Amino acid sequence: MKKICHEWQKYLDKGFIDKKYWESFKENAQAASVELKEIKSYDEALPIIEALIDEVNAQKLAGVGQDDSKAIMNIYHELGKKHQIYTDKFAITENAPILDIGISTAEFGVGETGSICVDNYSYEARLVSMLPPINIVFMNKNNIVDTMTEAFEILEQVFDKGYTGFVTGPSRTSDIERVLTLGVHGPSRLILFAVDE
Amino acid sequence: MVQRNIKSEIDSKLHDPILRSNLERFSEQYPIARAKAYANVDSIEDLRDDLRDMKRYSVAHIEKLADEFQASLEKRGAKVFRAKDGDELKEQLMAICRENNVHNIVKSKSMATEEIRLNDYLEEKGLHVKETDLGEWMLSVAGQHPSHMVMPAIHLNRKQCAKFFSDELKEDIPSDIPFMVQTARKVMRKEFLKADMGISGANFGIAENGAIGLVTNEGNARIVTTLPPVHVIIIGYEKLIPKVSDASKIMRLLPRNGTGQRMVSYLTLVDGPTPIIHEKNGKLIEENKKVYAILLDNGRLKAAHDPVMKEVYQCVRCASCLNVCPIWSTVGGNVYGHIYSGGIGAILTGLLNGMDEFAQFSDLCIGCRRCTTVCPGKINIPDLIQELRNRRVAQKGLSTPEKIIFRRIMTNRKIFHSLLRAASLGQKPVKSGKFIRNLPLFFAKMTEGRSLPAIADKPFRDRAEELFKKNPTNPKMRVAFFSGCNLDFVFPETGESVVKVLQDIGAEVVYPQKQNCCGKPVVGAGDLDTARKLAKQNIKAMEETNADYIVAACPTCAETLKQTYKELFASDPVWLKRAEAMSKKVVEFTVFVEKAYAKENRLKDVQGMKKITYHDSCHMKRSLGIYKEPRELLNSAAGYKFVEMHGADQCCGMAGSFGMKYADLSKQLLNRKIDNIKQSGADTVAVACPACMMQIGGGLDKNAPEIKVKHIADILAENLK
Ligand code: SF4
Repeated sequence: MKKICHEWQKYLDKGFIDKKYWESFKENAQAASVELKEIKSYDEALPIIEALIDEVNAQKLAGVGQDDSKAIMNIYHELGKKHQIYTDKFAITENAPILDIGISTAEFGVGETGSICVDNYSYEARLVSMLPPINIVFMNKNNIVDTMTEAFEILEQVFDKGYTGFVTGPSRTSDIERVLTLGVHGPSRLILFAVDE
Repeated sequence: MVQRNIKSEIDSKLHDPILRSNLERFSEQYPIARAKAYANVDSIEDLRDDLRDMKRYSVAHIEKLADEFQASLEKRGAKVFRAKDGDELKEQLMAICRENNVHNIVKSKSMATEEIRLNDYLEEKGLHVKETDLGEWMLSVAGQHPSHMVMPAIHLNRKQCAKFFSDELKEDIPSDIPFMVQTARKVMRKEFLKADMGISGANFGIAENGAIGLVTNEGNARIVTTLPPVHVIIIGYEKLIPKVSDASKIMRLLPRNGTGQRMVSYLTLVDGPTPIIHEKNGKLIEENKKVYAILLDNGRLKAAHDPVMKEVYQCVRCASCLNVCPIWSTVGGNVYGHIYSGGIGAILTGLLNGMDEFAQFSDLCIGCRRCTTVCPGKINIPDLIQELRNRRVAQKGLSTPEKIIFRRIMTNRKIFHSLLRAASLGQKPVKSGKFIRNLPLFFAKMTEGRSLPAIADKPFRDRAEELFKKNPTNPKMRVAFFSGCNLDFVFPETGESVVKVLQDIGAEVVYPQKQNCCGKPVVGAGDLDTARKLAKQNIKAMEETNADYIVAACPTCAETLKQTYKELFASDPVWLKRAEAMSKKVVEFTVFVEKAYAKENRLKDVQGMKKITYHDSCHMKRSLGIYKEPRELLNSAAGYKFVEMHGADQCCGMAGSFGMKYADLSKQLLNRKIDNIKQSGADTVAVACPACMMQIGGGLDKNAPEIKVKHIADILAENLK
């Protein structure tokens, strides 16, 4: 999958990330309506996703990021046994308008705001994270930076061209009477698996 | 340009209950939400300084940044154009549309395109254009303009929205908010999927790599920049920043200030052509999409090279200046320019849409300076508005009555003062007509809900000699009292209190009879030549006293004497020197007295029987930065117990000629103030500003006569023998 950087971890490890930012990340992400799932390993996500599929009666899923992570590939493989899950970019594109759940990845989180940094250079990564009503995201729980200042210092080093950015909770609007309503254009639910790798 | 009737527009807004209650609710919630959003930041001031400095650097290097931005994008495969104005941009855009055979366009919020009315143009050309931000979409359906830069539809309620939905979709849509939002999702999704061009604005454009940043909560900008095969970025020069890391300087403030969020849902960064997978000749292929950027000038570059106006480049369009603006939160944003509202809106309209448009509503800024306390870019919005007014006057001149009053009457102190005396006798030609309306004392028309005080029988200047007989025999210092017109002709008793208090702390008080109006109303109207004449008269009069200090018990006078005169003489070294010398001696009354009381150990916490509260004058608090001293003095005033009121520093609505011209609007601000005073439970409200005393006194008189308004000088004098 096309990314703006294939070595995020190398830059994150230059002293930007620290476990101590986790608590504020958690607080801010939850305040922004992120459904946060702290898990020890990737397999723990599987039953949670299965339950979600049942809950919303999802028919079609799509996922990206398997070429960078064996664990994610395995999850898609397992999900594929019982469900329709697209992982090929052309198949994702073809089915994008009718997907129920999209699965993607994030590079790191920002403590100050509860945001996740997403590398969405690839078209399919943007589709799965924006078009379906539910977006599931995998992120390394240890990859949390302090503030937006550090977040952009990292981008300063890795962002030469392409498509990236920060996602902080689901799509929302308050345009009618300032009443907060989720899911106006993008997902109404953002489920974040923070994996303690 | 259409000649607007702003007064009747305002009137209709004042009678729009939906608008009023939406805005009232919001302005109550906003400061709380903002404070909460900033709760995990060490220093807001440091962040504001960082942003301001970065933007200052950017505007100082604007051409270089534009070249770099263009080169960066071109290197990555985008095409970049520059448009000197809306017409040129429209032509360039049409060429792009033709080249790519475009029919359907989706847009994500871009104020620059609204500034040049791009949508109307594209539709005229037969293109199908859809705004995708929910609020903008509803307004475009309704044929209305946004009333706020961040919350465009804040003036509507759900029923009105449902009607727009129903009209557009030709089916009955219930006024259920989640249902409407889901409906919008479905409708807009179809538009996204069929669009062959996406147009976006940019919250910032980064020179070093050509990336743009798009800030949305809805995520529409992400879809606009993803699905259609062509992306056109329309970006004003003011959005350019040097480096990627500079973006954080915007992003740590913009969402917190704009919507009280620590971060928006989506901050999207797009840099150059990105892949798209779409059908071509019957099969799916992956290729890079086409990206175009058009840098819009339309007055921006001229502003960048204007030593004063370049400050507008520090604006990040967070709209928080509107959120705290007493006028915006009373009448909403539609009474300003067609796109940019509030104080910053007046400035942007003047620079980008023209001075004629600016002049129609520029006096809606009352100079309360609340916006300057929140603006992330630290823009001195009221000062820039004043500068534009000055230029307008320099160019177009004053109206005839203003010209006569300022130039012929006010500069001739004897005539001026004899007219004021005549006014006290109610003499006809003076009391009616234009003369009195333009006076520095705005006591002319009696308006409903507010009675205005009359001119005193005997002005302070005629009482002074008698008072000075009581000057201490061994004075510690010599103080010249600058009364200003209000204490001289409307509240001479307060002038007497000032003298008493000063004498009590050991001052020999003198009153230079040759002092004239400080000149603030004239400065406000943009007549700087007359203002300089008045300044010279006052400087001379004060110099002749040879006093150690010059004390004013009116914050406006204090500010004018201390600060404005120096600015007026910036290019006149001889008078500048004299203005500076005088400035050093000028002290505001409460500051002067508080210091003396502190020295004499007279400040203590007194818990008397009568409750007293304090109203911060806008000039006192935000121009002079004085708010502690008056409270210290009130805390120690015998017989009183000091209580704070809600919104103590909100404008009372007087604000110079504004209170006269927009009497109804001014009354709304006054009512809010009176309510807060009543709720504090105080029997007395103290002020340190005679203009506020006039306004609040008038309001209390009509609505709560049991509550008294007093100048702090009067309260302190009460307790002296
Ligand atoms: S002037 Fe300041 S407060 Fe107003 S919109 Fe611009 S940045 Fe925000």
